[in-house]
Amino acid sequence: MSKESDFYQVYEVFSRRGNKAPMQHQFSLLAPNREMAMIMAQENFMRREEVIDVWVVKQSDIRKMTSEERQHMTNRIDNKEYRTTKGYGYLRQKWKEKEQGMLDEKEIMSWKEVKKR
Amino acid sequence: MERGEEKMSHVVETAELAKQDATYLQALTELLFQLGDDDLLIAFRGSEWLGLAPHVEEDVAYSSITQNTMGHAVMYYNLLEELGIGKADILAHDRKPQERRNGIYIEKRNGEGNYLDEPYYDWALAVVRNYFYETFKKIKLEAVANSSYKPLANVARKVLMEHPYHLAHWKLWIKQLSNSTEEAKKRIQDRVKEAWEEFEDVLELGKHANDIRSFGLVSIGEEEMKDRWLDEVKSVLADVPEGSLGKKYGNGRNGEHTQDLEQAIQTLAEVYNSDKTAAW
Amino acid sequence: MYNYVEDGDSKTTAYVEHDKAKYDAFMARIEAGEKIEADDWMPEDYRMALIKLISMHGISEIMGALPEKEWVPKAPTLRRKLGIMAKVQDEMGHGQLLLRVAEDLMKPYGKTRENLMEDLLNGDLKFHNVFHMPTKTWADAGMVGWLVDGAAIISQTNMLDASYGPYQRALQRICQEEVFHAQHGESIIMALAEGNEYQRDILQESLNRWWPSLLMFFGPASAETTGSSKQDIMIKYKIRKSTNEELRQAFLTKYMPRVFSLGLTVPDETIRYDEEEEKWIYKQPNWDEFKQIIRNNGPRSKERLRLREIAYENNRWVRQALATEPVSV
Repeated sequence: MSKESDFYQVYEVFSRRGNKAPMQHQFSLLAPNREMAMIMAQENFMRREEVIDVWVVKQSDIRKMTSEERQHMTNRIDNKEYRTTKGYGYLRQKWKEKEQGMLDEKEIMSWKEVKKR
Repeated sequence: MERGEEKMSHVVETAELAKQDATYLQALTELLFQLGDDDLLIAFRGSEWLGLAPHVEEDVAYSSITQNTMGHAVMYYNLLEELGIGKADILAHDRKPQERRNGIYIEKRNGEGNYLDEPYYDWALAVVRNYFYETFKKIKLEAVANSSYKPLANVARKVLMEHPYHLAHWKLWIKQLSNSTEEAKKRIQDRVKEAWEEFEDVLELGKHANDIRSFGLVSIGEEEMKDRWLDEVKSVLADVPEGSLGKKYGNGRNGEHTQDLEQAIQTLAEVYNSDKTAAW
Repeated sequence: MYNYVEDGDSKTTAYVEHDKAKYDAFMARIEAGEKIEADDWMPEDYRMALIKLISMHGISEIMGALPEKEWVPKAPTLRRKLGIMAKVQDEMGHGQLLLRVAEDLMKPYGKTRENLMEDLLNGDLKFHNVFHMPTKTWADAGMVGWLVDGAAIISQTNMLDASYGPYQRALQRICQEEVFHAQHGESIIMALAEGNEYQRDILQESLNRWWPSLLMFFGPASAETTGSSKQDIMIKYKIRKSTNEELRQAFLTKYMPRVFSLGLTVPDETIRYDEEEEKWIYKQPNWDEFKQIIRNNGPRSKERLRLREIAYENNRWVRQALATEPVSV
């Protein structure tokens, strides 16, 4: 015999605003199973927001960082400029001397349009 | 029928044009009242449930459906307003029971007591009624989506856009409860049996059914609506009552109603009636 | 809508000395503006204060839906019916958000939403004083939306930087929706204030009736008034920033000019803003009555609890039915 308290399972709710947006955590709700969680999710948390997709995940199925992990595994030394454009900023001046522009993020992201031939 | 068939392909673009044929206007008005009154009444019953659902999350979700549904009623009343029948708010608040065209099962009280005091509301009734109604609504809307009256066809297509959530919601509830404890199964079955004796007029088009059909205001007639509804319901519920559907308390499409509708109108128009001239 | 009010009956767990190092680290985190999460170490009195605060806040939203809900089916136009339904739905939604936050805090004690509902019904969990009051006319629906929600917005925005992360995130959502609530309430009030004599009469009558409740909304100014106040611990732990009286003053400053601009009066002929002291001087409400109200001895306490109880008991079969293995569909 199941207990009434089993009706209250915690589901985490995620949604996406648009095609270019990532899945975003919204909140959590109580539901007896995942189909019920799904049918409640949108109206509980996205009544006024744009939404194109919804995920529900049973909270107990998520491996979350523990409190300790959050405090000890999320820190980094600030010495990783080689990983980012910040470490290559001197190129701007170099290219300028050669009368060339810098291929920065703005420039490269603009390359999605290639001239039609 | 003949005259109607002749007119079936004839699309009526505006309210002004619809008003030029008195028979057409009457059939259209009847149909719009059916659509508007059904949605208003079931939304009214939903609004009484607010705050009393089995758990908070369901309360919130159910209320969205109720709001959407009342929003649909508003769209039909606005069409009636355009046709010169009366202001939408007056149509919703200030018509006598015999002028109302909702199916009788739709006006049924939510259970014993009332929403302010000792509301022994029955979730099984809510689930069965809403599932039956939303299943029917889809069939009727699809029949109206190609209506000869263009403004109505446009509204029906819009309503169809947000209707799938409503149907999915109640279908899930009825499926899950029908597959759970013995108690829940029995409660659902009892309400299904009760609905079987009362639901028939919901599926009908009233005394102007022939005109409604022959003018092409709907693309299928009431017999086909009934068949489609039965097929759908039988595909979801393991056992439905034997025998045909009934209209135990009469035909709401023809203005026959119960005490429950009087209670509903009294409540929904209480403030409106306190001063009809006021701007609220 | 909410404020933390203390009835003087509660006991808090004494802070345990041997957690000093953890305690200092915790205090350093909140001093630095970090947010505490549900599974972080926290002092027992912080957890207890949060549980009490948030469960009361959450249950007050749920109970707060009831007085307004009375007017949902009765609202005078289709537009008003829709507006107030959406508003009351939001209140239930706020209850949902807050109960979830409280439930996660109670998890170490093995308590769930079921326990919260039971605590409410047996009187252990209190709900906010304003929701023990009757809503007698349509004007009350407007008054709750305008001034009661206005007071709630003052107290909730004051906690938008709360040190407890989940609460602070719930409040962000809630306060965003409150903007709609504020305008919803103003819209009802505006129509009445600019309406006919009958409408203006029910509006003034409503304000007269709600006035003491509005003053009581923020709780007593200090412990001396009712014998106890937990506001100090809330400020120490950076859950909220201001005292009850500071919030009440902010409310009066924001809303009194609006009240007067509509040609309304309040039932306190002595109320005035003292330029020198830079504060509102007003007649104190009856704080003994306040204590009675929040102990579930208010005018509508029993009826509201009874409604909640019926809804809870009457639907038990549904929760039992679906507590079984998930049904595939």
